[in-house]
Amino acid sequence: MKRIRFFIALIVGKVLVFLTRLVSKERGTNIPGAYSNKILKDFISQFKGIDYDKAIFITGTNGKSTTNNMIVHTLKSAGKTVATNLEGANLIGGIATALIKNSTLTGKVKTEIVCFEVDERSFERIHSYLPAKNICITNLQKDQVQRNGEPDYIYQKLKKVINKDMTLYLNNEEPRVKSFEDLAGKVVYYGVERNTESFEKNNFYDVTLPCPKCNEKIEFEYYNIENVGKFKCKNCDFQSKEEPDVYIKNVDFENNEFECNSEKYKVTYSEPFFIYNYALCIAICNNFGIKTDEIKKAFSTFKNIGGRLETIKYGKKEIKYIRMKQENPETLQSAFDYISRDSEHKIFMLGLEPVVDIDPHYTNTFYAWDCDIDTLENSNVDRYICFSDAIAYDSANRLIYAGIDKNKISILPTEEEEEILKELDKYECNNVYLITWLHGYEKLSKYIENKKEGGKNGE
Amino acid sequence: MENKVLNIAWCYPDILNLHGDRGNIMALKRIGELLDLQVNIERIESYNQEIDFEKTDIMFFNAGELKVVKPIVQALEKQKNELTKYIENNKYIVVVGTTGAVFSKEVKMADGETFKGLGILDMDCVQRDAIYGNDILFRLVDDEEMQIVGNQIQIIDTILNSEIQLGNVEYGLGNGKVSEKTEGAKYKNVVFTNALGPVLVKNPWYTERIIKDAMKNKGIEINKNIEEEFELERESVEAIKKFISKKQ
Repeated sequence: MKRIRFFIALIVGKVLVFLTRLVSKERGTNIPGAYSNKILKDFISQFKGIDYDKAIFITGTNGKSTTNNMIVHTLKSAGKTVATNLEGANLIGGIATALIKNSTLTGKVKTEIVCFEVDERSFERIHSYLPAKNICITNLQKDQVQRNGEPDYIYQKLKKVINKDMTLYLNNEEPRVKSFEDLAGKVVYYGVERNTESFEKNNFYDVTLPCPKCNEKIEFEYYNIENVGKFKCKNCDFQSKEEPDVYIKNVDFENNEFECNSEKYKVTYSEPFFIYNYALCIAICNNFGIKTDEIKKAFSTFKNIGGRLETIKYGKKEIKYIRMKQENPETLQSAFDYISRDSEHKIFMLGLEPVVDIDPHYTNTFYAWDCDIDTLENSNVDRYICFSDAIAYDSANRLIYAGIDKNKISILPTEEEEEILKELDKYECNNVYLITWLHGYEKLSKYIENKKEGGKNGE
Repeated sequence: MENKVLNIAWCYPDILNLHGDRGNIMALKRIGELLDLQVNIERIESYNQEIDFEKTDIMFFNAGELKVVKPIVQALEKQKNELTKYIENNKYIVVVGTTGAVFSKEVKMADGETFKGLGILDMDCVQRDAIYGNDILFRLVDDEEMQIVGNQIQIIDTILNSEIQLGNVEYGLGNGKVSEKTEGAKYKNVVFTNALGPVLVKNPWYTERIIKDAMKNKGIEINKNIEEEFELERESVEAIKKFISKKQ
């Protein structure tokens, strides 16, 4: 009976894949699978032909999509067949859709490998249906607190799933994920050596996190990216390993190169967080028998889907938009850092807004307080423009607390594009950076496009 | 100037670090200095570090993960006599978010485990099934003029066993029982609030009051009026209240 139901769900799914493709490519990543799951709750567990030793799940707070894209690109360019949810549809519907697309009419998965990005909250459920044996946990950070509350909430959820039958791929320099090491049968550690982008934190207000093993203070000798670096617990013997299994060394950020196990890699992206993604990808590929030359070749052609920087032309001004997640201090910090690295004169537009994830919507500016903003001020920002109906003042206050002169800050309690641009027009500098939610950027971008069109029509 | 020193113990800064809460310490420093005080902040780095209660005027505990409540209770138990004396002498303790459970009578976890808090506040804490996040707006019980705005990310609910609430909720959840509309708790100058995300930054008038009160407690009356410094924060509260009114 169940098998018949599975076939009905599969056929419905395949028809929906076909139909949604006609309407919109984006919508087709989740909806078909979500419907199939409604017909049969454990739909994804009914597929045949999946070799769980060759099934990879990538979970964690940040870097899931990029790492998944990279791993799949590398495996495919080495000639492997891979079923995946590349478009970031990482809930059960997205995974079901990927399986529908990559299976025969009888529900047999056609690829050698399945590689999925898995939402950390859904991980337990999805893994109960698809017991993948290769588990990558990129990092566990503060994120979407209205859903997750605290990092330990997700930590405890993942902990329940990890067992001795798995191979865990763990970031050696991120304390929370490294502490899963005791639970797995086999652990592959990956890491990045200290490099020219590494930094220390010695200011009075700098804070770290409680040790995942004993709850005392974790100390970092240095950081390679925010909250990731060489660490040790002040109390117990928990610390990052001196030599992880996959250890990226001699990172040359200018020339997009690094070394790993004495091999030199040329890459297409070299922001500090990307180096960790490469390390994890090498770790997976090593275990899947991909030759170094093939990995090198794949890295030299890798193109990430949905880059984090977009540019709008506005008159003579160039507005560079940096994607971030306001409910995630690491991405917010890395957006601030990105701007700070440009020492040219600039205008910085900060549009933190209320969080509109689930009901009730609410005003959250707390993670701006986790970020260090001091470096911004030393990078030639001529003008700061804080805009938002509800929290423009709050955002400005964070800047003032970081020592930024309040006379350099425009506070606009509005999200009206016209008013924001009117303020921007007042300043000569053409180098503009914008941090806001994606929907805010899209609205502004559309407004500017329409304005241009209107201008043309009027001529 | 020698006497005008405010001593703050920033308790377990790395262990209690959830919602950008270090901003609260920056607010105490800023507002203390606006009041012409020399503000000394001591970081209490680990559970084994002894706290010099004699020297401290305000102890500050920020929000942390639920798992650290128990070790903090154990750490403070070691200095319980001095802590009790500190509290009975009307000295300040401010505790934010989940960390409030440290000062409760009993904590009940979702997995059924129950353990004792320090028992200073007449309340029990119960871990929620689901997390609740929202804005919160409340008025202080002992100063109805004072309205506090903040956020809540609620992992535990608080059940008050007597009428010790810090404030009455005007918008949001507060301690957990919607019908009761109580927010936080207060015993002498032990203040617990669910309002997190640098609440002392957003409500500098409350920060000012805590500091003036703590100084008064050691015989130093501060009369300086710094109200005009808070124009930005007043505008901020109005903007947030407007946002809240649209939700109601």
